[in-house]
Amino acid sequence: MVQIYPGTSQVAQNRRNFTNPEYELDKLREISDEDVVKILGHKAPGEEYKSVHPPLDEMDEPDDSVRELVAPIDGAKAGDRIRYIQFVDSMYFAPAQPFLRARSYLSRFRGIDTGTLSGRQVVEARERDLEKLSKTLLETEYFDTARTGIRGAGVHGHSLRLDENGLMFDMLRRQVFNKETGKVEMVKDQVGRELDEPVVLGEPLDEETLRAKTTIYRIDGEAYKDDVEAVKVCQRIHVSRSFGAFNPVTGW
Amino acid sequence: MDIEVFPHRILGSDTTEKLLNDLESLEDVKRTVIHGPRFPKGEATLPEKYQERRVITINGEDVVLQVKTARIFLEISMESTIDEIEEICKKHIPFGFDINQDRSNYIRKQKTVTDRIKYGKKELPDELVGMTDQYSTFDDHVKIIKKDD
Repeated sequence: MVQIYPGTSQVAQNRRNFTNPEYELDKLREISDEDVVKILGHKAPGEEYKSVHPPLDEMDEPDDSVRELVAPIDGAKAGDRIRYIQFVDSMYFAPAQPFLRARSYLSRFRGIDTGTLSGRQVVEARERDLEKLSKTLLETEYFDTARTGIRGAGVHGHSLRLDENGLMFDMLRRQVFNKETGKVEMVKDQVGRELDEPVVLGEPLDEETLRAKTTIYRIDGEAYKDDVEAVKVCQRIHVSRSFGAFNPVTGW
Repeated sequence: MDIEVFPHRILGSDTTEKLLNDLESLEDVKRTVIHGPRFPKGEATLPEKYQERRVITINGEDVVLQVKTARIFLEISMESTIDEIEEICKKHIPFGFDINQDRSNYIRKQKTVTDRIKYGKKELPDELVGMTDQYSTFDDHVKIIKKDD
């Protein structure tokens, strides 16, 4: 078995689930392709993909064995632009978190570039591939409508106290709670431009489900120090990279 | 003495209303300051279903909320009141809260240069010192609620 992540706690198991490409993530909600395009805000729904180079078939490329080995992804084949989607995960038991996102994206998707920051995680890909992967990210366990934000700009809020209804602070107020339906709706696209029609994302997950699904070690949830196996592996890595090839017994 | 009620989530208008009404009913609570992030500009232009801000009624008086409730400072005189406050908070704040009393003053008691600039040489009554936000007008942020006799 591939050793993806150590640990015996539920958090460790959830991290393994996300990172293991063979594990099928639960689908929690349905978001149409058109709504995904609206949320991303890179083009109008139904609009043609803009391209930055002609399709690969029409290009005269030099002979290269690697080009023959690696099949290009759809977007690269068509010459799409590179676009992005960025997520912010609340520290309060969000299902995913930036480092885990990076690890799992790299094991699940092809042809992407991802960047990790303390509170946000961006992923770039060719436009049509990005739309496909965004749909996966929005519909599955990666996303909770209240604790996860889709934020291209104005990302502040992952470490702030939640609102009473469980929503994470958002200075641009893209995801808002509809009091009448109890669902979270996206009234702006990821960079804060108003949408004509709100995109209904669905009800937030309840606290218990979030605690069961989270990949964040927390002292008031599952503490990292209690996951002895995970700590042991971390310490081992720390010691071995501190020593490098140095052997303290022989002195060289 | 002052105490600080620190809820583990930012309170909405409904909970704030219930909580403040019960806190105001305590005889020993002299002054109350609500502290927190301001409601965003343009809140009033949003459709009703998204709005969080509304006029709340405390002891029969309308209070226009300016901020979301992230902390509540209370001026009290007896230690025993803290237990009563805790009971009230337990009733209205289901997701947990802290009551802090590490600092002797949560509400400012001394006049500052800002007060002088704002109110000039006029005598500012002691009970109004520390009640205002220096970035806004007095009327916007202070509501004097009469205690029931």
